[in-house]
Amino acid sequence: MFSYNFKYELKQLLRSRWIQLLSIVLLLLFGFSTFNGIQKVEKRKKDITTAQEEVKENDAMMLKLLDSVERGLEVSASPWTIPTSPMAVGNYHPRVAAMEPQSMAFMATGQADLFTHYVKPTVSGDDFALNFTEMTSPVQLLFGSFDLAFVIVYLLPLLIIAFSYNVLSSEKESGSLRLLAAQPIGIQNWVLQKLGLRFFWLAVLVLIALTVVFLVHGINPFAQAAVYFGLLGIVLTYMLFWFALAFLINLWVGSSAKNAVALLGLWVVFVLLVPSVLNQMGNTLYPMPSRTLMINEMRSLKAEVTARQDEILDNYLRDHPEYALNDTTQTRSFWHRYMASQSLIKKELSPVVDAYEEQLQKQQDWVGRFKWISPAIIAQESLNQMAGTSTQDYESFRKQVIGFAASWREHFMPFLYNNQSFSQQDYPNLPKFVYTNTKTSVQNRVLLILGLSVLVYLIGILMYKRQTKNNLLAT
Amino acid sequence: MISKTFVKETKELLREGRVRIAVVIVLLLTGVAVWISARHYQNVNEQYEVAKTTERAVWDNQGEKNPHSAAHYGTYAFKPKYPLSLVDQGVDKFAGTSIFLEAHNRNEAQFSAAADQTALARFGDLTPDFILLFIIPLLIILLGYNSFTKEREMGTLTLLKSQGISNWKWLLGKWMALFLPVLVITTVLFLVAGLLLGNLSDFGVFSWSSLLMMYLVYLGYYIIFINIVLLISSKMKKSGISLVVSLCIWIIACLAAPKAASNIAENKHPYPTRQEFAANVLKDKKQGLDGHNPWSKETKLLEEEVLREYGVDSLHQLPFNFDGYRMQKSEEHEAEVYVKHYNYLKDQYAQQAKVYRGLAAISPYLPTRFLSMAIANTDYATHWDFADAAEEYRVATQKFLNDNFAVNSEYGNWSYQADADFWKGLPVFEYDPPELKTTLESNASNLMVMGGWLLGSFGLLLFTTKNF
Repeated sequence: MFSYNFKYELKQLLRSRWIQLLSIVLLLLFGFSTFNGIQKVEKRKKDITTAQEEVKENDAMMLKLLDSVERGLEVSASPWTIPTSPMAVGNYHPRVAAMEPQSMAFMATGQADLFTHYVKPTVSGDDFALNFTEMTSPVQLLFGSFDLAFVIVYLLPLLIIAFSYNVLSSEKESGSLRLLAAQPIGIQNWVLQKLGLRFFWLAVLVLIALTVVFLVHGINPFAQAAVYFGLLGIVLTYMLFWFALAFLINLWVGSSAKNAVALLGLWVVFVLLVPSVLNQMGNTLYPMPSRTLMINEMRSLKAEVTARQDEILDNYLRDHPEYALNDTTQTRSFWHRYMASQSLIKKELSPVVDAYEEQLQKQQDWVGRFKWISPAIIAQESLNQMAGTSTQDYESFRKQVIGFAASWREHFMPFLYNNQSFSQQDYPNLPKFVYTNTKTSVQNRVLLILGLSVLVYLIGILMYKRQTKNNLLAT
Repeated sequence: MISKTFVKETKELLREGRVRIAVVIVLLLTGVAVWISARHYQNVNEQYEVAKTTERAVWDNQGEKNPHSAAHYGTYAFKPKYPLSLVDQGVDKFAGTSIFLEAHNRNEAQFSAAADQTALARFGDLTPDFILLFIIPLLIILLGYNSFTKEREMGTLTLLKSQGISNWKWLLGKWMALFLPVLVITTVLFLVAGLLLGNLSDFGVFSWSSLLMMYLVYLGYYIIFINIVLLISSKMKKSGISLVVSLCIWIIACLAAPKAASNIAENKHPYPTRQEFAANVLKDKKQGLDGHNPWSKETKLLEEEVLREYGVDSLHQLPFNFDGYRMQKSEEHEAEVYVKHYNYLKDQYAQQAKVYRGLAAISPYLPTRFLSMAIANTDYATHWDFADAAEEYRVATQKFLNDNFAVNSEYGNWSYQADADFWKGLPVFEYDPPELKTTLESNASNLMVMGGWLLGSFGLLLFTTKNF
C-alpha cells in the first residue's frame, strides 16, 4: 500500500505542478532573503573596517606627533590634544571595540538592526551612557527585515498549510473517500503516509534549495558544518511540527475550507499571538525601571560628587598608595580629581545600572520558561543565536565593551597619577579589544520541537480514536 | 436583483459557523488588545507626568550657579503620548522618548522601549493596529474567498445564468454582502474607541475628526481587500485555490512587501552609523568657533570683529562679557552644523520613503500603515517634528543662559553666579503635534496611492467580471 501511495502521490504532485511551483517559490524566497542578509553583513563589515582604518591613520598621526615632541620640535596641535598627555591618548585616540559578524550572520537579522556593532570607549564619560543602539529609521525597525529566518519562521508554515490542508477533505469532497475506506488501510495511517510523503518531498526541496542558494551566494555550507546542520535540524523539525498540526486538523476538522481556516488560525496563534502576548506579559511582570529616574539619580549624585572632589581624590590616593609613592612631583590637575570622582560614581551607580540587566535577564528567563508554547519562538531564537544576532549576543558584547572600557581606563591610571608622559614605547602596550563569541548549541531546541511535533501527532491519533469511522464518512 | 443577492449572501454568511467564530475571535482579540494598550498608556502617561514635573523642579531648584554650568547641567524634553496612539502605536516603540538638552550638543532621543526588551518584541505586539491592519483583512479573505467559486462548485452558476441577472448587479450584491459585516465591525470598533478616548481625561486633546479620518482610511483599505478577494474568487475554479491565492496576496501585501521595502530602502539609502555620524559632526564643528577655546583662530577673528564694531581696543571695555558672547556665537555655529547633518538624515529618509511608496504598488498595506500612523501622530515624521521642536527649545535655552552670562558679568569673570530665581524664567517646553490638515497635506502622496488602489481594484473587478 505504501509503495502505491508513494507512486500516486509523486505523480499527483508533479502533475498538479506543486513540486515545480514549490521549487521556484522556495528558490526565490531563500535567494532573496539570503541576498538581503549578505548585504547587511557586508555593510556591517565595511563599517567596522572603515572605523579601524581611521584609527590606524589617527595612530600614525599620533606617533608622528609624539616623535616630534620627543625630539623637542614645536607642534601645531591644541595643547590639550598632544598625546604625551595620557588623558589625550585615552580620549582622542580610542580603540574600536567591534563585534565582527559570525560566519552565518546573514541567516537572521535578529537584533542587528537595533544595536550597534562597534563603539569607541574613551577614558572620560560614563560606561552606562555609552549608546549601544544604532542610528536607524524606526520605520525599518517596525517592518523588520526580509531575512532567511523570516522565510523559515513565517512563510514556510504557510506553504505547508497550503500544501496539506485538504489531504483528507478533498478525498471526502470528491467522493473517493468511500473507495479508500474499502482499502486495507486505516484512515489515520493513510493520512499519515500521505502527509509523510509530502513532508519528505518538501524537506528534499528545502534542503536542495537552501544548499543551492548558499552555493550561488558563495557560501560554503560545509565549512561551518555545525551551524549548517543545526540550521537544517531546526528547519526540518519546525516543518515536522506544522505537518503534525496538519495531520491533527485533517483528522479532526471536516471540510477543506474549515481545515484551511483552522490551520490559518493556528498559524496566527503560534507565529503572531503567542510571541507578542508572552512579550507583553514579560514586560508587565518584570517592568523595566524608569530610565528617566535613573538619569535623575545619576545627576544628583554627580552634583554631590563634584562638590567634594578634593576629598574624593584624597581617599582615592589613600586606597592606591602606589601612586603617591612613585611620583616625585605630586602635581594634581583637573584629570586627577575627575578620574577619582568617576570611579566613585561608577561604583555607586552600579546597583542602579544592574537593575536593568537583572530585569532584562528575568524577562529572558520568562521567555525561556514558556517558549515551548510556540515552536516559532524556538525556531526564531535558535536562528538568531546561530547567526550571533540574539539579544544575549548583544548583551554579551555590551558587557565585554564595558569591561574593555574599564581596562582602557585602568591602563592610563598609572600614567596619570605618576604624572608620567605617554611615549612612543608605550604605544604597542595599548589594550586591544577582542570580541569572544558566545557558544551556542541548538540540539536541545531541535529535540524540543521534535517533542512538540510528536505530542501534536499523538493528540491527532487520540482525537481520531474518539471519532468513529462512520462519523467521518457520513456527511 | 441586487438586493436579493445581497439578502441571500448575508443570510448564508450569518448561518455559517466560520463567520460567527471568526467574528467572535476578532472581537475578543480586539478587546484584549485595547485592554493591554490602555494599561500601557496609563503607565506611560503617569511616567511622563512624573518625569516632566520632576525634571522641571530639578531645573528650577539648581540654586546659584554659573549660567554656562547650568547649560552643561542641561535639562530633558520628554515625548508625550497622543490619544490616537491607543489605536495605532506606530513607531513609538522604536523611537526614543527623552532628549537630553545640553550646551554644544544635539542629542538623539534615547531609551527606546524596544532596546530594553527581549528579541520577542520584534515579533510585534497585540495592539489594535495589529488587528486592524493584519487580522481584519484575513477575516475578509475567510468570508469572501468562495463567494463566486461556490456557485461553480455547487452547480448553481447555470441556474443563475438562466435568471437573466446581469453580471454587475450580481457582483454588486455579493460585494455589499461582504462589505456589510466589515463595515459593522469597523464602525463598532471605532465608535468604542471614540467613546473610550473621549472619556479618558488624561489623554490629551482628542479630536473626533482625526478618528473619522482614520476610520475612512481603514474602510478604504478593507474595500481594496474586498475587491481583490472577489476578483480572485471570480477568476478561480476551485474554492481551495481561491483561498490559497488570496492568502498569498495577503502575505505579500502585509508581511513580505514591507520587509522587502525596508531591506531595499536601507540598501539604497543607508543611514550613517552612530559613530560615523558623530565623527562627521565633530569634523564640521572643529572648523568653526569653539566657545571653550579662547586661543583659536576663529576666536581671534570674532574678537577683532567685535572690537571694531564697538570701537574699543580691549575686551574688558565691552559693555558685556565677551565669554558669554563667544559661547553664544559658538552655540549658533554648532546648531548650524547639526541642522546640516540632520538634514542629511532627513534627505536619506525622504529617499527611503520613495522606495516605500514605490512598493505600495504591490501592497495596499504600506500607504494604509503610513496614513494611520501619521493621523495617530505616532509616525516618524511626528518624531522628527518633536526632535526639531526640542532642538529649537535647546537653542533658545542656550541663548537665554548665555545672554544672562554676557549681560550680568564682566569679561574673564567665570565665577559669576546667576540668582537662584533666574532659572524659573526659562519658558516651559511645550510641544504640539501637527494638526490633522498638515498631516494629510504632507501625506498627500500616500492618499493618492490609496485612491489609485481603490479606483484600480474597482475598475479591474467590474471590467473582468463583464463576461463571466
